[in-house]
Amino acid sequence: MKVIEPDQKTKIHLKINGKDYETEVEPRRLLVHVLRDLGFTGVHIGCDTSNCGACTIIMNGKSVKSCTVLGVEADGSEILTIEGLAKDGKLHPIQEAFWEKHALQCGYCTPGMIMESLWFLSQNPNPTEEEIREGISGNLCRCTGYQNIVEAIKEASTKMKANPK
Amino acid sequence: MYPPKLGYVIAENLEEATDFLEKHEDAKALAGGHSLIPMLKLRIIRPSYLVDIRRISNLHFISPGSDEIRIGSLSTHYEISKANIPLLSETATKIADPQVRNMGTIGGVISQLDPSADYPASLIAMDAKVKVKGKTERTVSFKDFAKDMFTPDLNPGELVTEIIVPAFKDYKFSYQKLERKAGDYAIVGVAVLLKTDGESIKDVRIGLTAVNNTAVRATEAENMLKDTRISEEIIEKASAKVMDYANPVSDIRGSAEYKKKVTKVMAKRAILEALKR
Repeated sequence: MKVIEPDQKTKIHLKINGKDYETEVEPRRLLVHVLRDLGFTGVHIGCDTSNCGACTIIMNGKSVKSCTVLGVEADGSEILTIEGLAKDGKLHPIQEAFWEKHALQCGYCTPGMIMESLWFLSQNPNPTEEEIREGISGNLCRCTGYQNIVEAIKEASTKMKANPK
Repeated sequence: MYPPKLGYVIAENLEEATDFLEKHEDAKALAGGHSLIPMLKLRIIRPSYLVDIRRISNLHFISPGSDEIRIGSLSTHYEISKANIPLLSETATKIADPQVRNMGTIGGVISQLDPSADYPASLIAMDAKVKVKGKTERTVSFKDFAKDMFTPDLNPGELVTEIIVPAFKDYKFSYQKLERKAGDYAIVGVAVLLKTDGESIKDVRIGLTAVNNTAVRATEAENMLKDTRISEEIIEKASAKVMDYANPVSDIRGSAEYKKKVTKVMAKRAILEALKR
């Protein structure tokens, strides 16, 4: 059993986008702040109340809202953020589809939308429009009215089937 | 928003967790954390320590048997949604949103006992049992475990370890939830389990959430349907009877009058949907 006192900091290890990181945190520090302080500012803070999904990342293979996870809780986890998607200067098919389908205006929700789409398409590679809408129900966009985002995810599913990794 | 200053304990096994929780009554167990962390951020609660029970692997399982299904308290809503458990898996798909379902746990939901949570409608309809462990182990019916809103039958140093539901083979089912916006708690949730034989209903169970302090079964409505031939008329009458079991309060999700009336609508939808399957 490990006990960390309220005033004490503790070391945590995270594997972020394939690289190892070690940092010291207070128990109350939220994962979203830990990630942003390490330079992963693509992880956005939107509502800070587990509603909007702007802070969505992949933790140990599943999408989570990083504003509702503690840094200590994530110790030892593998994390993927939006910064880890493009490879060798080439955008991920979901990023390409968001670009091509004009699925963003202000772009604030986009990293969260894309990370959730990544998890969603891994579960359902061939979704209907209704399933896509359910799949991104934990992510809010205040600009686009969702139409182009839904189209982009549909387009991404086609691209990813054509070019499976 | 930052949680208040707090200590953090990583328990390797159940005994460590329950011992620490018993000695520190103002400590709180952390499972999925998706009710707990928002409450910390809003400073609604200020526990001295969080006891991280997430690494206790023997609380993390789903074990289907021929008569009953045992569900470890750390099972996430996502895992339950994929487990093909009659009624309960469908209920899990209606909770909050996908990210929350990846973290939130069934043990967390029933230890928190929000009166508008989804699982309780199904757990009460299924006659679920709850296994609780502290110094000793005991098993209680979910009905008795859910004493009042936010008030589970848990003593200091006790944790929910397992939820047990009967297998309900050959039952049809539906969970119908009315929500104000995607991902919200229920305005009303109705869970129905049905067993039919040709054109007649042999057994039926109806559970309600969000319209009382705790989930209830609409037993008189069940009795009206049991051993009857399926007809539009009897479904209409039974749905109206379900309304008698709703004692909602007015809040941001609707007036008491509205909630009572939609309870009938959702009950009818749940019965019709279950019959279709």
